[in-house]
Amino acid sequence: MSARPTQALDDLKVLEFAEMLSGPMCGKMFAGMGAQVIKIESPNGGDPIRRHPPFAGGEPHPEKSGSYLYLNTGKHSLTLNPTTPSGAEIFRRLAADADILIENHPPGLMASLGLGYDALNALNPRLIMVSISAFGQAGPYRDWKGADLIEFAMSLTGYNTPTMVADVERENPLRAPGHAAEMMGAANAAAAAMFALFNRDATGRGDWLDVPCWQAVVNTAKLEMAPLTYLRSPFSRERAKSSGGMEPLPCKDGYVYTLWAADAHWVALKKLLGDPPELDSELFNDLAGRHQYDDALRPMIREHLLKYDTDYLVREGQRLGLTIGPVYTVGQAANHPHLRARDAFVTIDHPIAGRFEYPRALVQMTGTPVSSSRAPLLGEHNGAILARLGYSLEDQQALRAAGVI
Amino acid sequence: MSRLPLEGIRVADFSWIINGPQIAQWLATMGAEVIKVESNVYIDIGRTNPAGMADRIPGPNRNGYFHALNYGKKAINLNLSIPRGRDLAYDLIRKSDFVLECFPAPAAKKLGLTWDDVRAVKSDIVMISVSLLGKTGLDPANWVGWGPMACCFVGMYDAQGYPGGPPRQTGGTWPDYAIATSVVFHALAALRHRNRTGEGQWIDASMGETVIGQMHEWYMDYFMNGHDRRQLGNRDAAMAPHNTYPCAGYDKWIAIAVANDSEWTALKNLMGNPTWAGDARFADQFGRLTHADEIDRHLAEWTRGFEHIELANRLQAAGVAAGPVLDSVELHDDPHLKEWGYFWKMNHHEVGERILPGMPVKMRNVPQLNYSYPPDVGQHNREIFGGLLGLSDAEITSLMEEKVIY
Repeated sequence: MSARPTQALDDLKVLEFAEMLSGPMCGKMFAGMGAQVIKIESPNGGDPIRRHPPFAGGEPHPEKSGSYLYLNTGKHSLTLNPTTPSGAEIFRRLAADADILIENHPPGLMASLGLGYDALNALNPRLIMVSISAFGQAGPYRDWKGADLIEFAMSLTGYNTPTMVADVERENPLRAPGHAAEMMGAANAAAAAMFALFNRDATGRGDWLDVPCWQAVVNTAKLEMAPLTYLRSPFSRERAKSSGGMEPLPCKDGYVYTLWAADAHWVALKKLLGDPPELDSELFNDLAGRHQYDDALRPMIREHLLKYDTDYLVREGQRLGLTIGPVYTVGQAANHPHLRARDAFVTIDHPIAGRFEYPRALVQMTGTPVSSSRAPLLGEHNGAILARLGYSLEDQQALRAAGVI
Repeated sequence: MSRLPLEGIRVADFSWIINGPQIAQWLATMGAEVIKVESNVYIDIGRTNPAGMADRIPGPNRNGYFHALNYGKKAINLNLSIPRGRDLAYDLIRKSDFVLECFPAPAAKKLGLTWDDVRAVKSDIVMISVSLLGKTGLDPANWVGWGPMACCFVGMYDAQGYPGGPPRQTGGTWPDYAIATSVVFHALAALRHRNRTGEGQWIDASMGETVIGQMHEWYMDYFMNGHDRRQLGNRDAAMAPHNTYPCAGYDKWIAIAVANDSEWTALKNLMGNPTWAGDARFADQFGRLTHADEIDRHLAEWTRGFEHIELANRLQAAGVAAGPVLDSVELHDDPHLKEWGYFWKMNHHEVGERILPGMPVKMRNVPQLNYSYPPDVGQHNREIFGGLLGLSDAEITSLMEEKVIY
């Protein structure tokens, strides 16, 4: 009798033919749930993100890129060039046995290699092929070159970043930190693959999924689109035209974030600031008034916040029922006792990069928690994977000599 | 209509506002029966916010904020602050696969919707809790807050600024959306685990932790090297030029990202090979990264002469990654989104024809997702309390009078 599974997806085989950010993040999510993930890397240096900073110790090294190490936890690495006939054959054998294939190449590239969905579906009708791209597999921008900056900037959320712009000439739109568009596409891809898996469990049939990163970010601008389609009121990123816009506000020793849209919050904020008489005007008593007189109100609130430190404002504000929180740096957050108490970080050993902490999980689960083991070395699992496919040591040497693996 | 992936799965959805509804919308459009439990005691503010009210005529079934986040679902009313309401909620949970809630921890406790409460009702339930910073841990687990506060806590807004400037806010309520498909993926993994083992579990999702997982470069640099506070603006580690540049007109911009020498050459050619661009210091990617500010100043002078959408088309045709920064009108009219099929149109009984954002993935074998219209307040009371929970019409009527179904 087999032991009770403690990893939710430990019966799944995932093939990841993807590089950089979106595809690898999607593969990482499956590896974290226990799926066996084989990452196909170029024999010519591997995933290009191996050459991207930050590096452990600061020195560029293909096994020390923090992004690679994080995005590829728990995977097996196979170096393979599927543009060669022997390489394509190995790819097909792996795909024939896989549940899920994740790829993030330009639309049409897989088909041009003879590895498009129709070809792979004929080989393995149960295969779920997840194609992540910048703009999608169809439409006028299909062949546009993407980049996280482009995908983010083109979404309305990109136009609205940063919020509350005072000078539209000087404050150009910014992308979000952390390759947000690619990460959003990755999570959508992982969720979509699970939908397809439930469908396959019922029908026996695989599927081909079109997951664009741009549309993923466009989908975060639902509330900014609604005024246009419901009130014929185009969205503005300007401070003066923003309705109830918010932003981090300076206090004595840093920044806090709060909002005073609800009347109860407004009362709590006044109390927190010691009920200053100039805030006690009936002009500010309702949301419409606070919005109309924001130009006068906001500087007064700012002035009072500067008298208090972050800890006091957050502790007292929360006690009064105010929505208020601290604005931390990454380093402050990484050491915060609350995140420590929740085990938000996990220490992982790596034979070349060393031993340090990583963010542990996107979400916490009681029954089948996300697992984290180190990222693979380039081509670390070539021998084991090829042997399982029936390639002898001599075959493997020949494949290596020919640049296939 | 072809089979939907989550047919046969039921969600007791106690969530509201943005993050929970976005999670439930993924499940609903993919075929799960999502029963949204609302109450006039705490009506979803998406139904009341004046900024989304169709044609400024008030009404709880007229709001674009609510419609955009809640189509595909069923809606019932239930007053959870009284025991009979809570009993009915537990009856619903007994017949569900998922429970979803996004209350602050003290409110969840008051309403009888903690993990301990819910698993006592149904031991193999998969419960999804979404909150600012998680429902376990220290004091922040009890905070009231909303999405952007999670970004503040974990360093995202500090990193969002212009280099050397104050922390700034990412557009919209980023983590409310960022957490949605992360949760959906793990929740479906949990459901699959339940199908294999009969065991339920609790997903205690923290918006802050999801954002941490997406900001790996910042966290890894901190843990590997002790580096803190990197505000990069639009700077990239590997690409330059890499920024947004002004175009003709008021508040019009284009994003341009050059990844290698051939793209740089293509850009120079399109500009007509101006003298400044031939500077030997800009000849390779390292030089362009080093002198990115200087290149940006020149490039901005050139882009100013063009309309942003037209210039993006020309740059892309020349092989340069570029995109127009679209405002809401331009996004609404975008030809690619039209052809790809992102938006969809409904003809709603109160607000008439409206365009709504669709789901941002496509499945070849599931060509039509469940885009049933966003429910009116209490629209499915009779269906759910009568059909699913087996109450008689008379019982339902009296529960309405007693403000239990309310």
